[in-house]
Amino acid sequence: MKQEQPVLSLRNVGISYKRRIFSEPFWAIKDVSFDLYHGETLGIIGRNGVGKSTLLRMMAGIIKPDTGTFVNNGYSASLLCLQLGFIAHLSGRENAILSGMLMGLRKKEIKAKIDAILEFSELGDFFDEPIATYSSGMKARLGFSVAFQVDPDILLVDEVLGVGDERFRQKSTKVMQEKIRSNKTIVFVSHQAAIIEQLCNRVIWIEEGVSKAEGTPKEIFAEYNKL
Amino acid sequence: MNLLFKYTELILYKTYADLKAETERTYLGFLWWIFEPVMYMSVFYVFFGILLGHRTDDYVPFLLIGLTSWQWLKSCVSHGAETIKGATALMQQVHLPKVVFPIILVLTDTVKFLFILSLLLIFLWLYGYSIGIAYFALPLVLIVQMLFVLAFTFFLAAIIPFVPDLRFVVENILLALFFMSGVMISSDIVPEAYQGFYHLNPIVTIIESYRDILMHNVWPNSSALLIISVISLICIWLGAKLIARFEYIYPKIIV
Repeated sequence: MKQEQPVLSLRNVGISYKRRIFSEPFWAIKDVSFDLYHGETLGIIGRNGVGKSTLLRMMAGIIKPDTGTFVNNGYSASLLCLQLGFIAHLSGRENAILSGMLMGLRKKEIKAKIDAILEFSELGDFFDEPIATYSSGMKARLGFSVAFQVDPDILLVDEVLGVGDERFRQKSTKVMQEKIRSNKTIVFVSHQAAIIEQLCNRVIWIEEGVSKAEGTPKEIFAEYNKL
Repeated sequence: MNLLFKYTELILYKTYADLKAETERTYLGFLWWIFEPVMYMSVFYVFFGILLGHRTDDYVPFLLIGLTSWQWLKSCVSHGAETIKGATALMQQVHLPKVVFPIILVLTDTVKFLFILSLLLIFLWLYGYSIGIAYFALPLVLIVQMLFVLAFTFFLAAIIPFVPDLRFVVENILLALFFMSGVMISSDIVPEAYQGFYHLNPIVTIIESYRDILMHNVWPNSSALLIISVISLICIWLGAKLIARFEYIYPKIIV
């Protein structure tokens, strides 16, 4: 597996933010290197605020590294975004179309998936009502159902697996786990060791913006949990 | 090419969605796009037409034409300036060409402007002006103003995320422009010495063009409009370049 060409490749990547044009940059990521291979589920673990989300944004092509190199060998990569661009006064159907288009689908593609979204979200007649009338659980269901229909080559997941009330949480977690177990390339970011251990083939450990260790979940967590 | 279609589709759907959301927010919905300008215009009619006695001369139509054109420009520029900054949360989740945000806003405000323009035309016809051959130039002047508005908006939208303080400056620049663009006055009352400078302002030419067409049935100054279009197109291109230059920087700005 390690001999094939990686889908994404990071070498000594550093990413900084600035509060003002002339202020000192803040380095969220200092020196991170790893490769992502086709079909694997890679976990990225680290404490809150070590720049995991920043790293995902770069992999999604939203920002670029300030130092080091990042190569995407021609694959689409996107973040799993829940309720992206939702507008309160529009119906569930309209929001699904808008959200899908914002995530990069063509209008006809998302329209072809609208029945699947309606069914999975279990919204029934509410689907054509403004989402301002939804409970937060209903909104979460719609958000997940839309996001799940977007199918990039590389799926980037930040913390959330399941959403909504308890029953929908189980259902959404289940389909996500199915997707993860299939041959899909996934990067999964969390500070919860248990979920990563359960789902990932390989783990990268990031500490203070630096990739500290890489290996099987077992190897990494033996070290990680000591801290 | 495929990308162009994809983003055109997105821009149009988002424009539709924003307009629809706006109508859903109130009881009267899209009727406000008619009532609001009617109320606005009535204020000017009552003050200038009745109170100051301009009922017989053509000051009220003269003023309303200027105000209609000005309001379109002002709403696009002052709202549009904030669009890229306002889209930070969205652009931190998906990659989108940032130039779509000001375009969507200009389209949304233009749709609303078209309602106001229709009202203005109805008012003018009721007031006694008739449709002349010069009306053929009206779409052209509208396009010229749209290009100018896009150029102006692109530049502000590109810069404001870096210097949010500029918002206050923009408001006052717009106020200054309002007085210097011939919305309320005719250019011949400007002193001879300043005439040259006064006409450097493209909005003066644009507003005069509307008046030529709608009030005097005169073909507008084509060469001046052509120059404005060419400069606007160049500025649109530069503005889009500027936005594209910061494509991956905007999502990193911490607000």
